[in-house]
Amino acid sequence: MPSATILIVCLVLFSAVVIGILAARPGFTAGRGGKILAFIAMFCLPIFCGLLGFSSEMQRSKTTAFCLSCHTMEDYGKSLLVDDPTHLPASHYQNHRVPVDQACYSCHTQYAMFGGLKVKAYGLKHVFIYYLGTPPAPQDIKLYEPYNNRECLHCHLGARSFEEGVVHNADPATLPAIKSNQLSCLSSGCHDTAHDIAHLKGAKFWEKGS
Amino acid sequence: MLSRSQSEERIRFAGICLAVGLLIEALCLIWATPIAFIMFVAIGGLLIFVGLLVYLYSVVSTPVAGD
Repeated sequence: MPSATILIVCLVLFSAVVIGILAARPGFTAGRGGKILAFIAMFCLPIFCGLLGFSSEMQRSKTTAFCLSCHTMEDYGKSLLVDDPTHLPASHYQNHRVPVDQACYSCHTQYAMFGGLKVKAYGLKHVFIYYLGTPPAPQDIKLYEPYNNRECLHCHLGARSFEEGVVHNADPATLPAIKSNQLSCLSSGCHDTAHDIAHLKGAKFWEKGS
Repeated sequence: MLSRSQSEERIRFAGICLAVGLLIEALCLIWATPIAFIMFVAIGGLLIFVGLLVYLYSVVSTPVAGD
């Protein structure tokens, strides 16, 4: 467990103990000093602890391990280790084009205002379906909306390999069309192998990554 | 306006909600699974929210000297 999380847990437990004492002896809050202590312990501390804890949980929910902890996501985790440079998620993961510990989130968040909150809301829906609903088969999982080039351009925009790429510049209309999301990076036939879990059984895997 | 004992009862109730909510949040922080995230937000968050509301209500309802 990260030391920051341990510190937050200690603070949360300390707050719970102080609040527990005040709850056991509410008469203590009658005096001025007691009122000030009660305000700090029963108003300021819970808000502070709640925000700290929420921030910690949000950070943890972005990790690759968190996403792959659901059984349904196992094959998607395996697809990150496919030994094939044309396999888009695998090449990004294995070459550290995305942070390895936040691989899923880096590509599946939305780099827009409230995009992070929106995808976390999707995540809550996933957990709800996983525990209380009927989760779909891994190969039946689809994106909620078509993959937006904005997510690719968050990193690739301005990169020499992207701006000066031969294929990207073969037609002068290509690059503007990519940047305006009119020509999809993924579904236009260029980088279209993403999480090809239907063909994982016959795939070769990068052993050092496992 | 609430009497002092009623106010103390409200503070006791708020304290219990807050303490239990914080204990649940501490457990969820230790137990790193997706269901813990749901419990953190839904149960821990709700208990803390209720505790805060009841505490604030008890503060504004407490009779002051001279009332």
